Amino acid sequence: MKLNQLILASLAGWQFVLPVSAADDAATNALGTAPAEIPAYTAANGATANPAETAELEALKKEIQELGQKVQALEQQRALDQQAATNVAIEQTQDIDQKVRVLARQRELDNEAAAAAAKNQPLVKLDSNGFTLASADTNFAISLHGLIQLDSRTFFDDHNLVNNGFLLRRARPIISGTVFHDFDFNFTPDFGGSTVQIVDAYVNYRYRPELQLEAGKFKSPVGLEQLQSDANLFFNERSLATDLVPNRDLGVELHGDLFGGVASYAAGIFDGVSDYNGTTVNVDSDNNKAFTGRVFLQPLKTSDLNALKGFGFGVGGSYEADRNGATGLTPGYTTDGQQKFFTYAAGVIANGRHWRVSPQGYYYYGPFGVLGEYVIADQEVSRTTAPLGSADLRNTAWEVSAGWVLTGEDATYNGVTPRHPFDPRKGQWGAWQVVGRYEELKVDDKTFAAALPFAVSTASASAAHAWSVGLNWYLNKNIRLNTSFAHTAFSGYTGAIPAVPAQAENVLFTRIQLAF
Amino acid sequence: MKIFLTILVALAFSRAVAADAKDIKLLNVSYDPTRELYQDYNAAFAKYWNGKTGDNVVVAQSHGGSGKQAQSVISGLEADVVTLALAYDIDAISQQAQLLPANWQKRLPDNSTPYTSTIVFLVRKGNPKHIKDWDDVVKPGIVVVTPNPKTSGGARWNYLAAWAYALDKYGHDDAKARDFVTRLYKNVPVLDSGARGATTTFVERGIGDVLLAWENEAYLAIKQFGADKFDIVTPSLSILAEPPVAVVDKVAKKHGTTEVAQAYVEYLYSDEGQDIAGRNFYRPRNEKAAAKYASQFSPVKLVTVDSVFGGWQKAQKTHFADGGIFDQIFQP
Repeated sequence: MKLNQLILASLAGWQFVLPVSAADDAATNALGTAPAEIPAYTAANGATANPAETAELEALKKEIQELGQKVQALEQQRALDQQAATNVAIEQTQDIDQKVRVLARQRELDNEAAAAAAKNQPLVKLDSNGFTLASADTNFAISLHGLIQLDSRTFFDDHNLVNNGFLLRRARPIISGTVFHDFDFNFTPDFGGSTVQIVDAYVNYRYRPELQLEAGKFKSPVGLEQLQSDANLFFNERSLATDLVPNRDLGVELHGDLFGGVASYAAGIFDGVSDYNGTTVNVDSDNNKAFTGRVFLQPLKTSDLNALKGFGFGVGGSYEADRNGATGLTPGYTTDGQQKFFTYAAGVIANGRHWRVSPQGYYYYGPFGVLGEYVIADQEVSRTTAPLGSADLRNTAWEVSAGWVLTGEDATYNGVTPRHPFDPRKGQWGAWQVVGRYEELKVDDKTFAAALPFAVSTASASAAHAWSVGLNWYLNKNIRLNTSFAHTAFSGYTGAIPAVPAQAENVLFTRIQLAF
Repeated sequence: MKIFLTILVALAFSRAVAADAKDIKLLNVSYDPTRELYQDYNAAFAKYWNGKTGDNVVVAQSHGGSGKQAQSVISGLEADVVTLALAYDIDAISQQAQLLPANWQKRLPDNSTPYTSTIVFLVRKGNPKHIKDWDDVVKPGIVVVTPNPKTSGGARWNYLAAWAYALDKYGHDDAKARDFVTRLYKNVPVLDSGARGATTTFVERGIGDVLLAWENEAYLAIKQFGADKFDIVTPSLSILAEPPVAVVDKVAKKHGTTEVAQAYVEYLYSDEGQDIAGRNFYRPRNEKAAAKYASQFSPVKLVTVDSVFGGWQKAQKTHFADGGIFDQIFQP
């Protein structure tokens, strides 16, 4: 390229620079406004670009202008896109926020519904007290409890009169419950022993604790030891005193606890049963009814005198104006070893008034407990075979039982609850209790009157007295092991040997008990 | 002496009256949004009854979805009076538990409905989603809050109001009305058991774009939470909601409260009772009270359950019974 051409090219190039700069300025300074006009280059000597260069410059200017507009549009679009993206993000965030709120609210409503439903859910409980199923409001409930007693009896010096062995003393599923809040029921069969029997079957209406009405088959309210639960006795078997009181009976009884349990009462009309009878009886043996009642006081139960809170005393009794028939008499009196030592002679029937009275009491304080009662059972009887005649026979019995919990737990009428249930891995051994008892039963002397005998001394003893000692081991609230020894001596027997009343009864008891 | 004796007798008499003054308890089982109404009303009635008889009346309240409350009474909740959202629920108490006679609704004026209400929309302030009528409520993307018609009386009124609008729009075409209401419930993310719960969902939990609400509930929400938070939109067509009241005869008789319970429901029709209703954003029956409170309500074309749906028995059976239309269209 020649020098003048180079100079011209440079000058032409300068023409490019100035307009582009101006265009940049325009684009930078005012988006969308037309770039400022750039004057045509005029050289110092006054020379100007030629038309071709001018046209080229114009074209370049136009292109630059268009590029500027495009950049402007792109930037505007970018701003709009950014705004749109922000709006979308905001909308998505709000959408997610709503979804989270909805989920939280749904969870809230589900929890409210679950809480409301829980109020109506039945209660299910399984513990040392057995199994209970109850409605949410507890107006309806059914419970399953049980009592199983596996005993052994070993007799000494009995001339092989009695078999030593094991026996299923009691096997009772106990079904109890409540309907409509105020009506309790109990149904207890017993599969122990040799026969199946209905032990309890009753309904109790609780108007108030002070006023309740019970109807059906249940314990007659006379004997203190008889009223104690089978699971909570000091010994395997009840005492001779309990031989004279009724066991279960069928009837209706009004009863209640007054003044917070300081006093309790029971008064009822029953079919009437003979002494220590009733478990197997489900119908009346005669046309007469027995009136039975009991009052028991624990005068200091609610006082601050702890040493005397566990003191209680009372009296129970029954009266039947006219008890009659052979079945109206007791089937016999038995020893602790459940051996019969007295029966009425054949042909002797109950024939007249039958009444009982039993003053009774107990005292429990800390690990010490003592229980005692005296029973008078009076029955008019008659002979149906020669020599004919009648008599009013009065039999009496009494007993005192006591126990001491060696491990310090409280002894109560309702049993002992170990403070430390048996668990050798933790060094816990349950509760231990030593127990003792003395008991006597005396048949009315008139029973054996030679001129008019109602029992024969060659078959029956006229009296029995016994002592017992034992050790009870409460592994926990449900499992208990007993062992005891009972010695019973008899008077008045003149019959052949061997026979139950012919020699003292010495028996070693053991028991494994499950109660829940 | 005469004056002294007169004063003495008067004092003795007043002491006798005071000594005989009884304390009476009533249980009013009501539907969900009436808490404020009956708080005011119970105080007024107690004052009235004390002035009239000297006895002290304490009214306990139970609130919840109308259907649920009716079931509670049927199951044993001992209500002396019921003040529920719709007649069907009190009919259920009569039929299933025989606690009051079948003709209970005839025993008080205006079919035992001392006040009425209707269904409106409660929206966020400024109505950002531009909801003006039922058509806007069913648009995709609109989140609607309404309670469960299986438990709530208000929810049943909401549902029927929407259905009535659709029938009106589509020339009584049930298929199109069903489609309309189906689209509405597609926009419902959560169902409360009662109207008050739905208000809580919308107002306090901040869920939804629109709450289908009792008119009184909508106004109460604005009063309680501020007019700067919500607006009320009255649709072009809604339903005349007639919540009835009744004495539960057998329970009142058992409690010995028949006389007081009867006076309690009757007093709702008194000038004071009607004024309390109006004050709490219910539409009074009484002409004087209705005129007094007319300006607080927006005009709206109202249809009735009887005229559109053939009555509550038919509406319940068709729409809300198990397996009814609501069960078919709403899948949680």
